[in-house]
Amino acid sequence: MKMKKIYKYILIIVVLGAIIGGGTVYYVFNKPHRNIKDETPAYTYTAKDLYKEYSEDEEAGNMKFGDKVIQVTGKIVEITNENNDISFVLNDEMESVNCALDSMFIKNNKPLIENYDLGGDITLKGKCDGFDMIMGVVLTQCFIVK
Amino acid sequence: MKIKLIVLIIFSFIYTEAISQKYITKTGKIEIFSQTPLFTIDGVNKKVASILNAANGDIVASTLVRSFRFEEALVEEHFNENYLEPNKFPKSIFKGKIVNFSDVDINKNGTYDITIAGKLTIHGVTHDISEPGKLIVKDGNITGTTSFNVSLQDYKVKIEKAYKKAIKDAILLKIHFNYKLYKKS
Repeated sequence: MKMKKIYKYILIIVVLGAIIGGGTVYYVFNKPHRNIKDETPAYTYTAKDLYKEYSEDEEAGNMKFGDKVIQVTGKIVEITNENNDISFVLNDEMESVNCALDSMFIKNNKPLIENYDLGGDITLKGKCDGFDMIMGVVLTQCFIVK
Repeated sequence: MKIKLIVLIIFSFIYTEAISQKYITKTGKIEIFSQTPLFTIDGVNKKVASILNAANGDIVASTLVRSFRFEEALVEEHFNENYLEPNKFPKSIFKGKIVNFSDVDINKNGTYDITIAGKLTIHGVTHDISEPGKLIVKDGNITGTTSFNVSLQDYKVKIEKAYKKAIKDAILLKIHFNYKLYKKS
C-alpha cells in the first residue's frame, strides 16, 4: 500500500516535470516575433532631421537608434515595389530614410497603401536597422501611422 | 585656351556618360540557408542596395545585418545577439567587379556567365572572394544573381559549443539583384 503511494507521487512529479519542461521548450522554440506594431516609438522624428542627425555621426546614430522603434514623418520621394514588398523612400533621393513596410501590414492594407503617392507626406513607425551609404537610414517592419 | 575648352567639353561628355551608365537597386535580396538534421537556418534580407557601373563592371553592394528576417524568432534573436553582433558590426559590404565584364553586352538581351571578385566584409572581417554568377540583360534592365558558401569561421562568427553540431560552418548565400538604370532627377 505504502509503496503504491510512493509510486503515485513519483508518477505525478514526473508528469508535472514533463509538462513544465515541455512547455518551456515549446515556448522558447515558438517564441513570438517582436511586435513592432504595439511598441511605443522610442523617438519621433521628421525624415529630414533623422537623416541629418544619423549622417553627421553614424557611430552615435547606431548607438541611439539601432534596433529601436522610430516614428518618422516625411515627403515620399520614391516608392519601390518588388514582388509586393513595398518601401517608401522619404525626404530626398540622396538623403533618404528608406522605410520597408511590414509584410503582414501590406497583405491586410492594400487600399490604404495605394492612397499614398509621390510628393505626399506620410508618417510611419518601424524598426531602425541602421545607416547605409546607398539607402540612407533604413527602417523595416514599418506600419503606416497616418 | 581653345584646347582647354575642348578638353573640358569632352570630359564633361565622358562624365555624363559615366553617370548614365550606373545601374542601381535598393531592393536586392540575400537568402541565407543552412541545414543539419538538428537545425535549419532560413533567413532573408530584402533591403540590399547595390550599384553596378556598366562603364567598367564595378559593383558595390551593402546591407544592414538587422534587416534579416527568420521564420523563428529564436533564430533571429541568436543571429543578431550572439552571431553577427550588429551592435558592433551593423553592415555587410561587398566592393569589387565583374572580372569578365568585357564578355557582357548590356545593350543586348541575353544571359551572361560572369565571375565576381572583390572584398566581402561580414562581421567586421574582410576576405577576398571570387565567385561565379549570372547577369541577365532584358530590355534595359539587368538582373544579377550569384550563390556561394561562406565559412562562419573565416568571418570569426563564433558558435557556442552546444550548437557546434547543429550549425554547419558553411552557410549558403543566394543573392538576387534587379538593377534599374539610375536616373538622376
